[in-house]
Amino acid sequence: MRNSILRNKSKLLIILFWIIIWEILSLIINQEIYLPSPNAAFSSLLNLLYNKNTYITILYSTYRTLNGFFLSCALGIVLGIICGIRKAAYDLIYPLIVIIRTTPVMSIIIIAIIWFKDTNVPIFVAFLMCFPIIWTNTVSGIRSTDIKLLQMCEVYKIKKMRIIRTVYFNSSLPYIKAGMISALGIGWKVTSAAEVLSLPKYSIGRFLYDSKVYLEIPDLFAWTIIIISLSFLFENLLKYIFKMGDKYDKVS
Amino acid sequence: MIRLVNVSKQYDDLIILKDFNINFEKNKITCLFGPSGVGKTTIANIVAGIVPVDNGSVDGIGDSLFSYVFQEPRLLKWNNVYDNIDFVLKDVYSLEKRVEIIESYLKMVELSEYKYYKIDALSGGMAQRVSLARAFAYPSNILIMDEPFKGFDYKLKNEMISLFKRMWNLSQRTVIFITHDVEEAINLSHIIYTLKNRPISIVNRLIVNNNKEEIRSLLFNL
Repeated sequence: MRNSILRNKSKLLIILFWIIIWEILSLIINQEIYLPSPNAAFSSLLNLLYNKNTYITILYSTYRTLNGFFLSCALGIVLGIICGIRKAAYDLIYPLIVIIRTTPVMSIIIIAIIWFKDTNVPIFVAFLMCFPIIWTNTVSGIRSTDIKLLQMCEVYKIKKMRIIRTVYFNSSLPYIKAGMISALGIGWKVTSAAEVLSLPKYSIGRFLYDSKVYLEIPDLFAWTIIIISLSFLFENLLKYIFKMGDKYDKVS
Repeated sequence: MIRLVNVSKQYDDLIILKDFNINFEKNKITCLFGPSGVGKTTIANIVAGIVPVDNGSVDGIGDSLFSYVFQEPRLLKWNNVYDNIDFVLKDVYSLEKRVEIIESYLKMVELSEYKYYKIDALSGGMAQRVSLARAFAYPSNILIMDEPFKGFDYKLKNEMISLFKRMWNLSQRTVIFITHDVEEAINLSHIIYTLKNRPISIVNRLIVNNNKEEIRSLLFNL
């Protein structure tokens, strides 16, 4: 308990330290258009928090991020399991993954704008960016399955679907969880980027874009703080859910 | 009777078996006795169908079911004791039947009160008892035991041996028992094959009855 208080205290001090550095830099530069002071950014943030539209915007952006994220999880895990078990499936999918991974996000966003309605662009882009991470981790997890357990299943003539559900899936679960955590962080980043270019009505990206157009740089910083906080919040929520799952597992 | 007839097996350049012949009598415990690395496990795995042969045939298997007690328990660590046994029975029995079988075998290996324990929470001896219960709970005709008591201390080993004997007496199956421990071989087996490498050949075929002392000195002097 005392340790965790001390830890939190030192975390707070570290944050404070960087805010002071920010303040000093902004004083040196002394031009809000390049770098607003923390004070300006946080008062913009406070203004935003008093506005109902801010919450609607956050809700919509969250919906898009999570939608893309969950789609990528579903497809990434299913395809990852198949590709981890069957070499032929892996060879077939692998080039696609390489292409997705190496294509610049901007190219994907622009292509998506041509293909989809504005609100679906960020969902598609988030999905496409998260998918290779989940897929790669699932494949590695499946391949890490203990061959000795698979031999045991062979001797006891366990049906293939049950081997996949019980042995393969549980062996790869730690890898899948790690993949989901890193994918979620990326999901937030690319959703905002895609929103900036596709400009759906309620979106954090649109506000980022507007603050650039109207040179309201403290707003830009305030929205960025919101994105970082949301990403941080959801990442910790996911970690918490995983932790609770493990705990429940231990008890049962 | 299970018969390996003129079986050959090699891994790359390493010849394990060459025109090898051996018989395993039905419902008897046959021991493969020999030093580590001689290829005893390969013989057992050929019988179990895990390892394919390069040449020769394995007769008398038909549609036999196998169970296997490995050197390590090979349990699913994310499942509890009960579910680990249930895992191999699910495709074979109805739910009520499974409950009945699992409970009775857990009682036999004295793990009833641990049935909801995760595998990580068990000692090595307990985990191997679960593996033994799983092997007997499964309706196999042939049971393979590959040095299942390796690494156990004297007391634990004796407990496991008498536990195994009790279980086998209740359900007499064809057992292939692999060991390089003289006491285990003599105390458990009906027939002992002593093996040498390489490729594997049978040195002796010993039938264990009242001649334990004789066999013991023979095995020690191999």
